[in-house]
Amino acid sequence: MANDGGAPRLKTDAATFEVVKNSLYAAAEEMKVVLAKTAYSPILKVAGDYSCGVFDVAGEMVAQGPDLPIHLGSMPDAVKAVISAWDSFTPGDVFIHNDPYFGGSHLPDVNVISPAFHGDTLLGFACVRAHWPDVGSATPGSYGAVTEIFGEGLRLPPVRLYAAGVLNRDVDAIIFSNVRTPEERRGDLNAQVAANRRGSQRLSDLAEKYGADTLLRIMAEVMDYSDTMLRALLRDLPDGEGSFEDFCDGDGILEPGADTDETFTVRMKVIKKGDTLTVDFAGSDPQVAGPMNAPLSVTASGVFTSVKMIVDPTSMIPPNSGCWRSVTVLAPKGSVVNATFPAPVVYANHEMSHRVADMLFGAMAGFMPDRVMACSQGTSAVLTLGGVDYRNGDRYVSYETIKGGFGARPTKDGINCVASGISNTMNTPIEVLEMSFPVRVEYYEITTDSGGAGEFRGGCGARRAWRVLGNASQASICCERTKSAPFGLAGGKAGATARIAIETLDGKTRELNSKGGFPAPADSRILLEVPGSGGYGPPDARDKAKVAQDVKDGYVSAEAAKRDYGVDV
Amino acid sequence: MSWRVGVDIGGTFTDVALVNEADGQIGIAKVPTTPRDFGQGVVQALEIALQEHGVAANDVTLLSHATTIVTNAILEGKGARSVLVSTRGFRDVLELRRSARADLYDLFQDPPGVLVPRHCRLEVTERLDAAGAVVTPLAESDIDAVIDFVRENDIEAVAVSLLYSFLNDEHERIVGDKLRAALPDIPVFLSSEVLPEIREFERTSTTAVCAYVGPILESYLRRLEEATSGMGLPSLYVMGSSGGVFDVAEGLKMPAMAIESGPAAGVIAAALIGRQLDKPNLISFDMGGTTAKASLIKDGGVETTSEYEVGGDGNVNRWVHGTGHPIRVPVIDLAEVSAGGGSIAWVDPGGSMRVGPRSAGAEPGPVCYGKGGTEPTVTDCNLILGYLDPEALLAGRLAIQAEAAREAIGKHLADPLGIDVEAAAAGVLSVVNNAMAEALRIVSVERGHDARAFSLVAFGGAGPMHAAELATALGIREVIVPPIPGGFSALGLVATDLKRDYVKTLYAALADVDLEEVGAVYDAMEVSAREMLRAAEVPESQWVLERGADVRYSRQAYELTVPAMSGPVTPETLSDLAAQFHEKHRMTYGHANPDEAIQLVNLRLTAIGKLEGLELRQSGAGDVAAKKGSRQVWFQKTGRVDCAIYHRDGIGADDEIVGPAVIEALDATIVVPPAWRVQTNNSGHIIMEAQDGE
Repeated sequence: MANDGGAPRLKTDAATFEVVKNSLYAAAEEMKVVLAKTAYSPILKVAGDYSCGVFDVAGEMVAQGPDLPIHLGSMPDAVKAVISAWDSFTPGDVFIHNDPYFGGSHLPDVNVISPAFHGDTLLGFACVRAHWPDVGSATPGSYGAVTEIFGEGLRLPPVRLYAAGVLNRDVDAIIFSNVRTPEERRGDLNAQVAANRRGSQRLSDLAEKYGADTLLRIMAEVMDYSDTMLRALLRDLPDGEGSFEDFCDGDGILEPGADTDETFTVRMKVIKKGDTLTVDFAGSDPQVAGPMNAPLSVTASGVFTSVKMIVDPTSMIPPNSGCWRSVTVLAPKGSVVNATFPAPVVYANHEMSHRVADMLFGAMAGFMPDRVMACSQGTSAVLTLGGVDYRNGDRYVSYETIKGGFGARPTKDGINCVASGISNTMNTPIEVLEMSFPVRVEYYEITTDSGGAGEFRGGCGARRAWRVLGNASQASICCERTKSAPFGLAGGKAGATARIAIETLDGKTRELNSKGGFPAPADSRILLEVPGSGGYGPPDARDKAKVAQDVKDGYVSAEAAKRDYGVDV
Repeated sequence: MSWRVGVDIGGTFTDVALVNEADGQIGIAKVPTTPRDFGQGVVQALEIALQEHGVAANDVTLLSHATTIVTNAILEGKGARSVLVSTRGFRDVLELRRSARADLYDLFQDPPGVLVPRHCRLEVTERLDAAGAVVTPLAESDIDAVIDFVRENDIEAVAVSLLYSFLNDEHERIVGDKLRAALPDIPVFLSSEVLPEIREFERTSTTAVCAYVGPILESYLRRLEEATSGMGLPSLYVMGSSGGVFDVAEGLKMPAMAIESGPAAGVIAAALIGRQLDKPNLISFDMGGTTAKASLIKDGGVETTSEYEVGGDGNVNRWVHGTGHPIRVPVIDLAEVSAGGGSIAWVDPGGSMRVGPRSAGAEPGPVCYGKGGTEPTVTDCNLILGYLDPEALLAGRLAIQAEAAREAIGKHLADPLGIDVEAAAAGVLSVVNNAMAEALRIVSVERGHDARAFSLVAFGGAGPMHAAELATALGIREVIVPPIPGGFSALGLVATDLKRDYVKTLYAALADVDLEEVGAVYDAMEVSAREMLRAAEVPESQWVLERGADVRYSRQAYELTVPAMSGPVTPETLSDLAAQFHEKHRMTYGHANPDEAIQLVNLRLTAIGKLEGLELRQSGAGDVAAKKGSRQVWFQKTGRVDCAIYHRDGIGADDEIVGPAVIEALDATIVVPPAWRVQTNNSGHIIMEAQDGE
């Protein structure tokens, strides 16, 4: 980027600032390494469902690791909750909590927070948020369709797990009496504590090297810097207004006598003016009975993710609390996008933040069509399984996310079967999954015709079948867009919707709703097709050779090529 | 006279290094690389080098080569037309990957390439369970369909990777036997032969890489070997990614080993220096025009990793980025940063001073080279600070435009920031040094090693200029600059051993693993290893077989590799493994869980054919005066001071120089900051030491 005139002046000299800023981000990244390599549950160690960050004394996020966008907006609240609950901090303290109504996101996301010191001076905090595959409740995986947060599992306010390095055995005992597979959870918690230790140690080292005053000043300045950068990039984009409306499949709670879930609507209006952006959810439906209600910070995380992809796709701006000062998110209290206690929230954490992230592209397509993408899969497609492993008699909980399509772009096709938007977790290798849990995956492949037609085709989704082996399993599913298809843009068509079914040994197949628990009998098969993504631009503008190649490779069937593109192959 | 010869193909130059086995004398030759036909360039380079140094072909005892041909084939998408054979229902394993995207926020990112297009990914009906037992028998008629497809579509290579073949290879073997019988001219790679290791995507990817590059590697090596044997040179060895060399036949069995064969060489050369100077604990630091690389040498041994991707954005720092093709073969553990002499410095819209990732490269190069560069680079800043000769480089062949560099720094950095040119240049230096210190930190402190217990070996064109400041940042007190730092990597090619790594998954709880089974796996790998060493004609007295194991706590996902005792497998073998694992875990991650069950995942064997040790030596003082003069040079501690300038060629053994000083040579400039002292030795190494109080 050219910079011919005077650059904004930092209080610290530009080189020292750059050096310390890079060291803060390296600290957050190093925390991530420690967590991933030592955690016990597959969702952490191989799927990467966690975020690490360095925070200032007020709980603002100074540096986030290269982690999940879903946590962009809500991590600071997690640290602020500890600061407001506790008066003083001592080296070696470790705090833990997960309450979505007090700084958390949903109960399975467990926050572990440690202060960092230089002598007696508090420098800030390290925080690791990690998704535990189970935090109690009636359903293994804690993904049941309930109507109050009390049913969603163990709810921990900010409590002190270690005081000056000494374990609080009371808290420890309560936690591990309330989760399934406690040995595995203990390994995860140890990994979180070790990652925090590494992060706070690096903060202390930086204070030793540069002086605590300089470090604290630069920590504040890093956030100002991100604010300046985001505003500079926003100013370069066209002003405009846009709105978008979309509906969700349901909340997992069926009305008495109903056999399908009732849909509800989210509405968004966006105003971009100069170096500010306002996103208003006025008119969105009131909060629902089941766990599809998003705390405001979860909604904001979804918005921030897409703002960053639109404004700063090459990641010039380091992610921290300063980034979002120019972005205002408004949502009516008590709505599905700003839930109030004691509404249940577990699904909304990813499903609603996926939704608002996709909608923002739709709302801004009218005035910056070359900076947006068509709708992606719009779900984390979570399947949990729990029961007793017939091979050894042990209890198990399995938590997996299956990936659909990444939306088509103004100049490129979408991407097949890859994490999009707020999520970036990995799959678990089939060979590791089957050694760990009593299931057999019978196919795992790309779904033909699931990418929305367009000049640029949407990415395809995946389809997979699990056979439940030996004993029955208590399963639960959370997969949006079984009814609401991922939309296309600029004339592109929608991608395929999701489909969930269970096939029992008598050969009967029963379609399932998009959310909630269900029993999976021994030797039954669970069938899942996750959504594709929308196309961009009119299908008849697509290069005919690309259509033919898609048919040859089986991404598009010959029938669909004829129907959607008018091409005979 | 016996000579060893190494040839390293770089992007711009092909380096040839010659070492006299008797007295350690070094010779270097540089010729332009010929990208159209690498083999032709290699032959030319060899002819020139042998002639320049008066070496006859039959005096050459070892010919070793680092090639980028495999990596280039992948980067350019020019590999063989390949077929992948999978278990029914799983043909998309290569494309589904691990399902995470490479860049979190890049709306316009491209998906990673897939080496085998979907219509060439074929399935056979068969399935094993998680214990390796047959659930669905192999439908042999499906193999006939594969054979027909290969014939009809002009396919050049086949990869076969079935689920759980690391537990039970029977189905893969049947498929392989039928394919090989029907298609004798088509190379067939079985995952159970290439990499019998758990995790289907990584195993399949490694196998597919072998198929994709195998035919190209074969035609290249065969042609090259024909040419070199025509010159009367001995048989050709290739450096592998793990830092050893292998012969052509072995390389064609496992082409993935030939990936990243170049970068490993510098680390091996550094390890050689360590042996020669009796300094077993080193950090090697290689800085060139666009990147800087760091690697750790502990107790004389290089560290390797199996988490590696080829053909993507690289394995910069700590993470594979999900943009390339994973290969699960041991690769020398390098941390790399996009920081070199050509890295461009700029001020971003937030007012911070940034260096890289853009580089001026060789064209147009730094502003001061006067070849059209307009944006200030690290080299320009080094010039302004006095580290580089302000008149000319390369013994007068490259005139320096100092004023143009000063203007560029003023316009792009100093003026926007409201500081003077020297402060801006100093700022750039601290930013780039910090980025490189992070790379050094990753391979040392982050892996649980105390950097202060190591010496830094600095090489590459720009390494010796930055090394002392980096050492200071990490508390390292000794910096070694070898002879010919600019061509040092090629020396590694002749300083290594014959090496081949074997792996086999044995997935079991360490507490109740069958001792006989462990022994049998090691025995089988040792049989292969001995066959390999015998075929390579390494005398038996030079054979070394090193056992290892990949282990973790039973619920973790990532293993650590620890050495295993040789000889019969006993309960002590296992308890020793466990003890070493707890210790390594504690060192690496800060905690260990000694009560926790340990999972055995893979058994490893490294087969080494030791080559005779070498000593590297550069003759003593030439006939130039050591002291060249003096100029003003800027240092962090002192600001601008009068500083003595030396010719490296004029410095003799046991000379002592006290910093601040700058030592100039044709291929690299060595900066000695204040409070550092230089000691030379009789083999031409320059050793810098931080003095007390530093």
